[in-house]
Amino acid sequence: MRMAMRPSSGAWLILGLLLLWEVSARLDWMHTPNWPPLSTVLAALLHDVFSGELPVLVGGTLWRMFSGLLAGGAAGVIVGLLFATLPITSRLFGLTIELIRPIPIPAVIPPLVLFLGLDNTMKVTVVALTAFFPVLTNTMQGVRAVEADALAMGRTFGIGFWRRAVHIILPACLPYIFAGFRVALALALVVTVVAEMIAGEQGVGHYLVLMQFAGRAPEMYATVIVLAVLGYALNRGFLAFERRTIHWYFALGRMAD
Amino acid sequence: MNAITRRTALALTALPLAAPPLIGQTLTKLRVSVIPVLDVAPLHAAIQQGYFAAEGLEIDTSTTAGGATGLPGLVAGQFRLVFSNTVSILLGIREGLDFRFVAGASAGTASPPDIFAILTRKGTGIATGKDLEGKRIASNTRNNIVWLRGMAWVEKTGGDWRKVTTVEVPFPQMADALAGGQVDAAIFSEPFVAGALASHGDRLERIGWPIFETAPGSTVAQYVAMKEDLERNGEVFERFARALFKGVDWVTPRRADPALLDLIAAFSRVPVERLRQVALPTYPKAVTPAEVQEIITTMSRYGMGGRFPAPASLIFRTANA
Repeated sequence: MRMAMRPSSGAWLILGLLLLWEVSARLDWMHTPNWPPLSTVLAALLHDVFSGELPVLVGGTLWRMFSGLLAGGAAGVIVGLLFATLPITSRLFGLTIELIRPIPIPAVIPPLVLFLGLDNTMKVTVVALTAFFPVLTNTMQGVRAVEADALAMGRTFGIGFWRRAVHIILPACLPYIFAGFRVALALALVVTVVAEMIAGEQGVGHYLVLMQFAGRAPEMYATVIVLAVLGYALNRGFLAFERRTIHWYFALGRMAD
Repeated sequence: MNAITRRTALALTALPLAAPPLIGQTLTKLRVSVIPVLDVAPLHAAIQQGYFAAEGLEIDTSTTAGGATGLPGLVAGQFRLVFSNTVSILLGIREGLDFRFVAGASAGTASPPDIFAILTRKGTGIATGKDLEGKRIASNTRNNIVWLRGMAWVEKTGGDWRKVTTVEVPFPQMADALAGGQVDAAIFSEPFVAGALASHGDRLERIGWPIFETAPGSTVAQYVAMKEDLERNGEVFERFARALFKGVDWVTPRRADPALLDLIAAFSRVPVERLRQVALPTYPKAVTPAEVQEIITTMSRYGMGGRFPAPASLIFRTANA
């Protein structure tokens, strides 16, 4: 709240844009009923929230998103650590992964439907695939950035491969891994919704398309607002979680944020 | 007591013969791909009225607004039945996919208002297909029944369909694209006809009924299943068709009844006020070789020809009713 008071706060711009939305729709600048006033959209939003319909859909979408994010992210960390510590694995699988990475995920959803169906299996897989790559690249980057002193000290104490990986390399990589997860988180929400829009009768994505086809613009924009707020909240929540988990890293003063 | 045990014993011996057991509470699950459009009202009516349950079936509808995953999903075994438009079904059959018609779904009306309409902007002077030559017409996708009838209308009203550029615009955006001048005409399907005229009625006008003016009352969409599944589990599909047709019998006399509009509003989420202005399709039960042949012939005229099996061989016994 204190933030909103300051004249330099970014919140003023948002308020201004929302006001522009309301005015432009009220005065029908766009000459279309498909640009409803913000107040109408908010009324639709409140209705859908209190009818319990949207909360259930958002819950389903979040569940799919987090399942995919955790599965894909965990795989990314494991593969990343392997690639960076055992060069043979990276020689064997690196090319395959580099070839799969640039494929836009929405392009492979229709063929994936053939193998994985239309429900959670397909959607979670798609999200996991999306989350995998940023976490993988960041983990590998993190391993390379582990300080040589730390490794040397481990060697001096004569600890083995596994202990070195778990107690020295992994903690040292954590800030990088978290950065990877933060990118993956943003992508995961997008991809979950896209997958829901393309196939199956689930979640916010399906609701969005259904409302669009039913000609209910206020409900559609209400869903868009929900997604914007959700994305913002997820990012803020993640940052808070990151600060708690790797507070030592921030204590080192490496991030000026 | 004795009778019951005997019946149970009989049922047990008959079990391997009657694959989907009707005894007890076991319902056979059928996953059906649908689009949330007016055409699938009988299916939803049959679900709501319990006609499927009475046949021992549980229908799990999977709605995809665009309908893009329907037929591929049928091939992949994701669905047992798919609601789709005749042209898309026939194009799949032409490519060697073994779709078979299980039941009719929707067709044009015997007299206007019809379910497809061509709209233009007022004051552009466009009134016929001839006027559209060199211009842009919007269709929700190419190579489906909407586009086919649109092109047939262009030809019927003196135009050359090859000289008309088709632009793919999804139905929800069509009215805005037309009013905004991105296209010169658009082929609409209900409920988007009513929607466009209600929201942009001051700027848009209707210039044609593509089905009524080219092939009145002709077919639009059907339910299909895979040939192999039909051969193996024909009895399940007979039960499906029986229940669906009861749904048709429920819907047909209620065309002006608020109960039907409430039903459609519930699954399509289109507001009831809008549905009151919408033209409903005819809901046929059967699929006839003649109507399939008519579509094949028309498809060949508009660049979608090829080798098709004899129409009669594409129709499963349930659709012969």
